[in-house]
Amino acid sequence: MSITKHCLLKNDNPLQSRRREEDPMFTKIYTYEMKYWMRQPSVYVYAVIILIYSTMLMHGMSGGWDPVPAETAAVTITNSPLKINWMMNFFMQLMLLVIPAVVGTSIYRDFKSRMHTVLYSYPFEKADYLLAKLCSGLTTVIAVSATIPIGMVIGTQLPGVNPRVLADFNFAAYVQAYFIYVMPNLVLFSALIFAVVALTRNIYTGFITLVLLYFLQGITGAVFSGLESGYAAALFDPLGKMAANYETQYWTLAEKNELMLPLSSLVLTNRLIWLAAAIVIFLATYRHFTFSQQASIPGLRKAAGRRIVKQNFGSIIRVALPKVAFDFSFASWVRTTWRLSNIDLRFILKSWMFISILLGGILAVFLQQAQQPLQHGFKILPTTWKMLEVPTLFFSGVINLLTFLYAGILIQRARISRSDQLVDSTPVPNWTLLFSKFLALVKMQILLLSLIMIGGITVQAVNGYTRFEIGHYLFELYCMNLLGHVIWAMAAVFVQTLLTNPYLGVFILVFGGMGIGGLKDIGLEHQVFHFNISPFFNYSDMNGYGSYLPIFYLFKGYWALLGSALLTLTLVFWRRGVSVNIRERLSAALPVFLSRTGGIGALLLFAFVASGTGIYYADQASSHGVVTARKEKQFLTESDARYKRYVNTVQPRIADVKIDMHLFPEACRFEASGEYWLVNKSGGNIDTLIVSPGFEEYTTYDIKYPAEPISLDSVIKFDVWKLTTPLAAGDSLRFTFEVQNMPNTFFRRNSNVIGNGTFIGDDVFPRFFYRTLREEPDPADSSAHQFTYQSFDSDYVNLETVVSTSADQLAIAPGYLQREWRENGRKYYHYKMDQPIKYNFGFNSGRFAVKRDMWQDVELEIYYHPEHDYNLERMMKGLKGALEYQTKYFSPYQHRQARIIEFPLSEGSYATTFANSIPFSEYRFLADVEDSRRGMPDVPFYVAAHELAHQWWGNQVVPAHSLGARMVTESLAEYSALQVLRREYGDHKMRKFLRFDLEAYLRSRGGSNPENPLVRVETMQEHISYAKGALVFYALSDYIGEENLNRALRKYLEKVKFQEAPYTTSLELLSYVRAATPDSLQYFIEDAFEHITLYDNRARQVDVETLENGKYYVTIDVTVSKFRSDGSGNRSWGNDTGDSLRTAIAGTEKPVLSLPLADYIEIGLFAEDPDGDGLGEPIYLKKHRFTEIDNRLSIIVDEKPHEIGIDPYFKLIDAQPKDNLLQVQ
Amino acid sequence: MNLTISNLTKVYPNGVKAVDNLDLEIRPGMFGLLGPNGAGKSTLMRTIATLQDPDSGNIRFGDINVLNDKMGLRRILGYLPQEFGVYPRVSAEDLLDYFAILKGVSSWADRKHLVDEALRITNLEEVRKKHVDGYSGGMKQRFGIAQLLLNDPKLIIVDEPTAGLDPAERQRFLNILREVGTRNTVIFSTHIVDDVKELCHELAIMNGGRILKQASPEVAAAEMEGLLWSRKIARKDLDDFEARFTVLSSSYNRDNSINIRVYSQTSPGSQFQPATPQLEDVYFVALNKDEGTMKN
Repeated sequence: MSITKHCLLKNDNPLQSRRREEDPMFTKIYTYEMKYWMRQPSVYVYAVIILIYSTMLMHGMSGGWDPVPAETAAVTITNSPLKINWMMNFFMQLMLLVIPAVVGTSIYRDFKSRMHTVLYSYPFEKADYLLAKLCSGLTTVIAVSATIPIGMVIGTQLPGVNPRVLADFNFAAYVQAYFIYVMPNLVLFSALIFAVVALTRNIYTGFITLVLLYFLQGITGAVFSGLESGYAAALFDPLGKMAANYETQYWTLAEKNELMLPLSSLVLTNRLIWLAAAIVIFLATYRHFTFSQQASIPGLRKAAGRRIVKQNFGSIIRVALPKVAFDFSFASWVRTTWRLSNIDLRFILKSWMFISILLGGILAVFLQQAQQPLQHGFKILPTTWKMLEVPTLFFSGVINLLTFLYAGILIQRARISRSDQLVDSTPVPNWTLLFSKFLALVKMQILLLSLIMIGGITVQAVNGYTRFEIGHYLFELYCMNLLGHVIWAMAAVFVQTLLTNPYLGVFILVFGGMGIGGLKDIGLEHQVFHFNISPFFNYSDMNGYGSYLPIFYLFKGYWALLGSALLTLTLVFWRRGVSVNIRERLSAALPVFLSRTGGIGALLLFAFVASGTGIYYADQASSHGVVTARKEKQFLTESDARYKRYVNTVQPRIADVKIDMHLFPEACRFEASGEYWLVNKSGGNIDTLIVSPGFEEYTTYDIKYPAEPISLDSVIKFDVWKLTTPLAAGDSLRFTFEVQNMPNTFFRRNSNVIGNGTFIGDDVFPRFFYRTLREEPDPADSSAHQFTYQSFDSDYVNLETVVSTSADQLAIAPGYLQREWRENGRKYYHYKMDQPIKYNFGFNSGRFAVKRDMWQDVELEIYYHPEHDYNLERMMKGLKGALEYQTKYFSPYQHRQARIIEFPLSEGSYATTFANSIPFSEYRFLADVEDSRRGMPDVPFYVAAHELAHQWWGNQVVPAHSLGARMVTESLAEYSALQVLRREYGDHKMRKFLRFDLEAYLRSRGGSNPENPLVRVETMQEHISYAKGALVFYALSDYIGEENLNRALRKYLEKVKFQEAPYTTSLELLSYVRAATPDSLQYFIEDAFEHITLYDNRARQVDVETLENGKYYVTIDVTVSKFRSDGSGNRSWGNDTGDSLRTAIAGTEKPVLSLPLADYIEIGLFAEDPDGDGLGEPIYLKKHRFTEIDNRLSIIVDEKPHEIGIDPYFKLIDAQPKDNLLQVQ
Repeated sequence: MNLTISNLTKVYPNGVKAVDNLDLEIRPGMFGLLGPNGAGKSTLMRTIATLQDPDSGNIRFGDINVLNDKMGLRRILGYLPQEFGVYPRVSAEDLLDYFAILKGVSSWADRKHLVDEALRITNLEEVRKKHVDGYSGGMKQRFGIAQLLLNDPKLIIVDEPTAGLDPAERQRFLNILREVGTRNTVIFSTHIVDDVKELCHELAIMNGGRILKQASPEVAAAEMEGLLWSRKIARKDLDDFEARFTVLSSSYNRDNSINIRVYSQTSPGSQFQPATPQLEDVYFVALNKDEGTMKN
């Protein structure tokens, strides 16, 4: 007999066995599915990649790759519960990529194999089927995700880790992070993606969902960036990450290192909301899923049916095909490549995966551009470079992701649709197919990049910013960004050709891309190893891309070589026809490899390696071999070992400085010559002269005094001379020098001279001390008062300079302009200061416009980039405001002039103060002050006031190099600026500025340095010297009176003004402040300056009763609590004698603790704010004295309050500022 | 042009010898490759169509050494695989245009003419704007023919094209194929004997990777003259007859009796009638001989 039996289903299919066994269907399907997944190699690839990645990352963070264990005083513990949680969530987000590939596939593969046509006629329950499918996928995903904690634990156990950054293994922390965050998130996203794939019967919708969620995150991040919306964002963040952040945002270092994450009601509610969402999603899937042949697309109703009768009777037809030309020439195939790429592109553009991602992308890019996050606490105008910068990081990731995915889809397109045999038997060459797909990807990238431009221009137009720079958009998007994407496309095409599973390809490419960042941690620091990474750059309106472009193109060209090699190798491995296994593919590839194609590939690969080697060595040669951070560290250690002993060698001090500085902006170089007079102010003989020329410069010098070299070190740049006749006390010597920058190379510009907007500091000139990081001594140590906080070899100096620059520029140095002339086609300026200043100066040169004004007899000037005229008036006002305030309360301004000079963003985003010059970054010139009416700081105004105040606090009063120096300079400058601001905006508006400072302080407390009290603040602790210092002095002026405080400051200033060594300290300043403070408030001095003290005040309850006389009787319950913190952030509630308060408050579980209280705290009652976005006008505002934790206050007022608060203006340091205000119900 | 296959062997990694040292000479005209499922037909056809490399052997088509000059063959090849899909949501017209591009027709006007004509020939004009993935089986097969015609192929390979078509569709399909086959070499594989009977000048029967018989249908049938016998038997006797004779085929009658056809050099008995040889008989005899189940 020749009747062959066909079984549609193999015997191991459980669906047949229903009748035989009584096992529940769920178990059957589930077991079958799990067997399937256990056989999938891709699952193991996912698991292994994640395991390796988490191990390596954790090992790296545990110091596994550091050559010498870091010896910082306080460390961030790598495996603290907080860090574990952070890392787990990081990997969990990567795991999301696996979900569509596994959970999506689990349901999709029945459609794909068309098994569903048979399967869905089988007698099993929908619930069994769906649940089993989802659960098997989820089990697989969870099994893969188990490699995350395993890898992390292994990473901390491997040899080479630094035990100082590791705590004991904390099992509970891993369990908590995994079961509270990771697993619920995997369940949620699995349910979601499962639903989408099941209902659309399209595997790629799962992926779209993922990308759209990613967009959503970008959008919510932008929308909820304000302070007030934090809680809502935390509650509704699907990942729960924001909830965790919300609970830990003010954590100190100690808390970050030790505490378990709180399982607060916020966190639990968040988790429950989303777990419930997962269940709802699954139930919805169950309801809408049908065992039918066609996908159900919700919302689309079918058109009315139509009876179709095909023509059943055919006739014999003449086959006479028209004669057409077949063109198999190379040129024709090139044209075909283009044509096919358009067809592929149309396929991409028409797929609704792309369309939905496009729409989501437009929205996300637009919102990100429109809602820029605050940097340095303020927004800037929507300049073109800003519009390009904002979405780049986010959106370039999306473009790459789509590139990875579509590379796979396009390459597998014929195979997926099973038309590969039709395509493969046509005479189209492989390269035509390959390049057409590659080209389609590039065209897609071009299209996506245009979104950034469209979004940017829209945002600019909406904001009324009309300086549209289309050329700049086009250049950066298409002549720069596109290159990186194209190189990724090359890599993607290669990877996706080798593999058959596009998802695995995406996964490998994404992880590979992220792994690049980790290469420097394992010793491959040089850029030649970092595939397709471009070094960071700052565009400047003043100076464009500066000297960045050549190096950018060099590296892009270098990686394009590798990309081209990969593309050629792609041809070698291109699948044409049927191949059963790897061996067949390899044997098919071999002849291609040995052909011309392989030869070209090998040649390209060789060119790549050769140019990489060339770049590496050329770069190394041009930078004395210090190309890596590791080598730099080594270098510093070596230099310290040799010369640190000279740190305390007594030296003469610079008293007189004459410098000729010649700037050549077009060549990015300078030549300088100069002369110092050094005076022996030590009181004894000096027989050794230390000379430390600029490290990156060529310096020749001449000691015009008999001297012999003891040691000359041209590598570390440190020379020691013996003065043949010791320099007697009071004697001086002349020292001349010539300096120029090391020649620029292709790889680096060795000077700070740039095309336009040069800002070059005094660090290029020779000095007379060993340049190293010095510990700041305690202010109580009187031996340490010999040096200023900024210099170890000078007090006040006379300064005279001649600056020259190219003819189209203007050059500025501190001092008054004596003469200006032209010579040899260049411009020369002679500046001279009429009184001694600190050795602290710089040279600026650029094509400036100048705005001039006067305040009394002081000339005010702003040198600015002609396009940056947005904020000039505000800056002028800031300067005037500060002059007004400072001269009224403290002392006269020591100069006749104040000049603000703009410098490009590429040189920094800060502002600083020299004698009569204030260099100001471009960034601050571009501040967007639109919002300042709504309480955002008016940055140009404020910063100008701050910098000018430094003429007093920093230039008239110069503190010693010791802890607390920045309290004298920054805190007081910031305080002065706040007072100037208050005069401009009034008391009530100060609330937002103060809140801003408070937030800045609280958020930075958890940094890796131990926290110091204000009076001993370190230089780097800007959140203390600026933010906390400003708050403390501002509160003090409020508590003891502005006049009173300023009188004390004036007394202090008069005492220490223009003094030479020994210099003043923060302790001296504090003694004046203390003297002006009444006894009842002495506690404040102790708390605010000498300790780290925080309040935890809370408004708990408010009741308002209307009295018969029409007045309102307001009852307020407030909690007052105060605690101290040690440097690591551990809280304590006892004072010096160990006393503390303790009260149980109804409704709270734990008793509330506090330091003993006798504190004055403001209570405020407020009307409704007509604008609705802040506090209304105060109805009642008064300081009350509190001695208890639990307080009830009764206040009678004329007007009905809308809101009440304790310390409503945030004058005090409050650890939880959010609960200070309460609305009247 | 003749297609010459010599010493062709292909062994799959699982050990199956799909093509076993096979020699075959195919002249212009319709050539039928007959064999049961799993005989190695598809492997052979894919190999000829340059989609799969053999382990050893040679294939020539006219001047073209197929294994070394795949592109050369692809230019004049029309191939319709046993099973194929198409890009979803693309109309017949667009898809044919796409294939015309792939086949080297670079002029847009040329492609337009070509596609129009191919649609006319395959009677798909009316549904030219419809998505091919929504076509019925017969329409899809006709689309397969349409794409195959686009490069005016000299060698046409169609792998089991009529499987699953209804009678009208099958007839229409075969008519087109026949029309195309008059001027070219057409290799046509099937396990349906009638297809070959109606169309082919020559046929080969293949099983287990080998060619069991190659002849024209008429000659092959003629060779069987006097060797075939038929008889009506009761259902319960079938096993007995199968044990004693080479039963080529058996089919039910309406009264539940069975007609059997038996291969025998001599008359198997007086109850048997001499039967006129059919192509089916040739096929079954060849397979039986190959399987070694001949009784005499």
